[in-house]
Amino acid sequence: MEEELIQIKNSAVSLALDAKDKKELDDLKIRFLGRSGRLTLALKELSKLPKEKRPEVGKLANEVKNTIEETILEKESQVTKQKSQELKEKIDISIPGIKPQIGHLHPMTQVIYDVVNVFKGLGYQTADGPEIETDYYNFEALNIPKDHPARDTQQTLYLDTRNAKVNPGEIILRTQLSGMQARAMEKIKPPLRVIVPGKVFRYEQVDASHGFEFWQLEGFLVDTNVKLTDLFGTIDYVLRKLMGENIKLKFATTNFPFVEPGVDTYIECTVCKGKGCSFCKMSGWSEIMPAGMIHPNVLKAVGYSSRQWNGFAFCIGLSRLVTLRYKMDDLRLLTNPDMRILEQF
Amino acid sequence: MLVPLSWLKEYVDIKLSPKDLGERLTEVGLNTEKITREGDDVIFEFEITPNRPDLLSVVGIAREIAAIENTKIKLPPFRSSFAGQAKIKKALPLTIKTDSKINPRFTGIIIGGVKVRESPNWLKERLLKTGQRPINNIVDITNYVMLEFGNPLHAFDYKKIKGSVMTVHQAKGGEKFTSVDKISYHLPKGAVVISDSEKIIDLCGIKGELNSGTFEDTTTVFIRVPVEVPVLIRKTTTSLSLRSDASSIFERGVNAGGTIDALKRCVDLILSIAGGEISGELIDTKKEDFLPWKVHLGIERLNKILGISISEKEILGLLQRLNLNPSKKTRDIIEVTVPTYRNDLKIEEDIIEEVARLYGYNKFPKTIPQGQIPVKQIPYLKDFEIEKKIKNILVASSFSEISTYSLISEKDLLENKINPDITLRVDNPVSREFEYLRPSLIPNLKKGLLQNKPYFDKINLFELGKVYLGPTLDKAKEEYFLSGISNNKSYFEIKGIIEKIFGEFAIKDNPSDYINILDEGISFEINFTDFEKSINLSKVYTPIPKYPSIIEDINIIVEDKVPTGKIIKEIQNQSPLIVRVDLLDVFESSRTFHIIYQHKERNLTNEEVSKIREKILVALKKAFKIKIKE
Repeated sequence: MEEELIQIKNSAVSLALDAKDKKELDDLKIRFLGRSGRLTLALKELSKLPKEKRPEVGKLANEVKNTIEETILEKESQVTKQKSQELKEKIDISIPGIKPQIGHLHPMTQVIYDVVNVFKGLGYQTADGPEIETDYYNFEALNIPKDHPARDTQQTLYLDTRNAKVNPGEIILRTQLSGMQARAMEKIKPPLRVIVPGKVFRYEQVDASHGFEFWQLEGFLVDTNVKLTDLFGTIDYVLRKLMGENIKLKFATTNFPFVEPGVDTYIECTVCKGKGCSFCKMSGWSEIMPAGMIHPNVLKAVGYSSRQWNGFAFCIGLSRLVTLRYKMDDLRLLTNPDMRILEQF
Repeated sequence: MLVPLSWLKEYVDIKLSPKDLGERLTEVGLNTEKITREGDDVIFEFEITPNRPDLLSVVGIAREIAAIENTKIKLPPFRSSFAGQAKIKKALPLTIKTDSKINPRFTGIIIGGVKVRESPNWLKERLLKTGQRPINNIVDITNYVMLEFGNPLHAFDYKKIKGSVMTVHQAKGGEKFTSVDKISYHLPKGAVVISDSEKIIDLCGIKGELNSGTFEDTTTVFIRVPVEVPVLIRKTTTSLSLRSDASSIFERGVNAGGTIDALKRCVDLILSIAGGEISGELIDTKKEDFLPWKVHLGIERLNKILGISISEKEILGLLQRLNLNPSKKTRDIIEVTVPTYRNDLKIEEDIIEEVARLYGYNKFPKTIPQGQIPVKQIPYLKDFEIEKKIKNILVASSFSEISTYSLISEKDLLENKINPDITLRVDNPVSREFEYLRPSLIPNLKKGLLQNKPYFDKINLFELGKVYLGPTLDKAKEEYFLSGISNNKSYFEIKGIIEKIFGEFAIKDNPSDYINILDEGISFEINFTDFEKSINLSKVYTPIPKYPSIIEDINIIVEDKVPTGKIIKEIQNQSPLIVRVDLLDVFESSRTFHIIYQHKERNLTNEEVSKIREKILVALKKAFKIKIKE
């Protein structure tokens, strides 16, 4: 009995290894493993053996069956690959592929989705506000009264008031997104975690690193016991998530009337790796995320107690973030509809 | 502001290298934009924030460096003293009439017997290194002292002040004014000026008049060191678009306690460089004494806001280095005395920043806010998930997204038959090209298509962006539009894409209402803001049918003008067992429809289907006078 089983195994294995195609292998399966196959028939003889011999022979029979199955399977896989190879040799596989007709999402969109996602993980909700804004929300509510010299840093585009019951100079195109601080805080009590991506407008001549329309993302958090170190930690986390963990960052003091203390964040220029280029004005660093602890006057203007609540606010230059991320040397590339640019993203 | 290292070194010992010094100054708030070597000197270019007028002076910057280096500054000793007024040999007359509401402080003195000529080389060089043009010794000295101390000074030719009287008042508006650099202006109403008995001789805090300036023939000068009202100066500079180094300082708020020191320094330099002698009593008309003020700082609050623990001793040390003269009031309270040149320091938070910035922002640890994550929905909530889905459909349909300017030109409007008179407009556009707020995304899409034509055959572009609807500013509305254009897809391909998008969000509108056939291609424009309001995102699973469907095609002959959509609707109306009707083929006047019949709970019989088919044909004959093709 044992000898017969081993003979069956040897015969099946050698036939399988010699098989030329799938059909021969299918035939082998039937000849050995099928309902009236050699192995199946041999196994039926098992019951005729003395009881004490059965386990030993049974075990051997199983091994034989497994070996035959595995060998056939392996050979099948080999034959399939071989066939594919033969068919590929019949065609010129070096001809470029036929690409599916798929469009491209704008790089700004891709970056906005990424940024929103990172902040979502930190518990921020996203808001969207008006671009046609009042002087009050854009400046006054932010501790920047009329005739404040800080207005010089944000030259404003004023809207034509013809035929409208509006005083000239009162309605503008927003120069920053910070107006959403007051708009949101007026309507809801803390704790708050909000981001606002959007377009801002400035009266500014256009060049490689300036424009009259560009994208920013404003964020603010109001709670009890918010600390300056929380702001540093948030900036560090967010920028590393967006730009890679190995970026170099540094913080500096700055002044915006709606924060105190004021913080500016610089990232080592990704275009020149800190050596200095036209994009970073030869400094090797690019200003990326101004921020600060929200000024008590801003909290007071919306009726929050600055003893009970405090918070921080920050702004990311989204247009700059996109250009830094993709090493684009000109902000104007972002508004250019040239598909030779768009297709790269 | 340009400052040579050699000048700074006169007041403070600097151990740091120029590069390290620049980095530290940036960290403490004095943004160092550029460091250039010039001969054996180094020139720093600083960007000064609006809150720090004191940093528009070399001494002010030296103070910051002294704080960083933990050392003291050395100011030049004053030789002149205005105390011994008795020594004046010949006091010249001058009457000052001023109003503290428009001129909080008026400090000045007359110096007679000066020789106006070219400045000595050292003075000219210093001015050149800071980007100033040397003029003559008197003017150069006033500029030099302004750069040094941060208090602007102006030298009048005393003999040209008619009637020996100076009256500070506000302009009525329209008066002609010619500046010392010979440019004429018409003064705006409210501009603060000085008149003598005949005419305007100064535009205060901004520019001197040509008629009272100091030139070669001047022998007696009156030096004025004022404190001006920031808002009044700013209104005038904005209205005239005329700015000067002096007005930049006054707009930010000059050191009101510094006029006497600046005048002393100026007099010292005039007497030693241009000769002459003090020829009148010190004039110092002022609203108040302009003394330093006090601010309280809580140690616990400081550490709570900063999130670090700085010891009391260290806080006191940092404040001392910033000349804020700290003293302990109670166990927790430190009282600081703010020098008059730091008018940006008013509240506790300002003092907290002082400690933090000198401690060094880059030495702070980083933490993550500990508070609870807010769950209440915020106002102005924006959900990107809907637009993401739509953009994915468009991208999968080979459309690429563009992001264009909101501002477009009058030409763009006219080319798209949009009336500029009812389109929102910017009063002060950067150029005519970017003057109007777009009321549609189509103009930019068309331009995008044309721009790509030389390089691509198949152009499919879309944009999701804001449009601005008028007709006037008080009725302005901002809405998101979703628009696209294609030069290669058929009307029905575009319609199919819109149907897909509408279907995804259960919108019942007719896609054809949103599609236009243009010369350039097929376009679509959807009001996305309205769209978002009417969508239904909830999806309910429908079980897949357990029983087979019966499919058949019917072929009819019908007049061309009968809309296929109506025929499909009529067919569907005939039985609830018709689950789907499609137009399969059109050939001349014949149309073939593909109809699927299905019952949810059992198999359909052929008899049932043929009854429905009869019903359909009868209905179509009645409604559209169709014929059946044999």
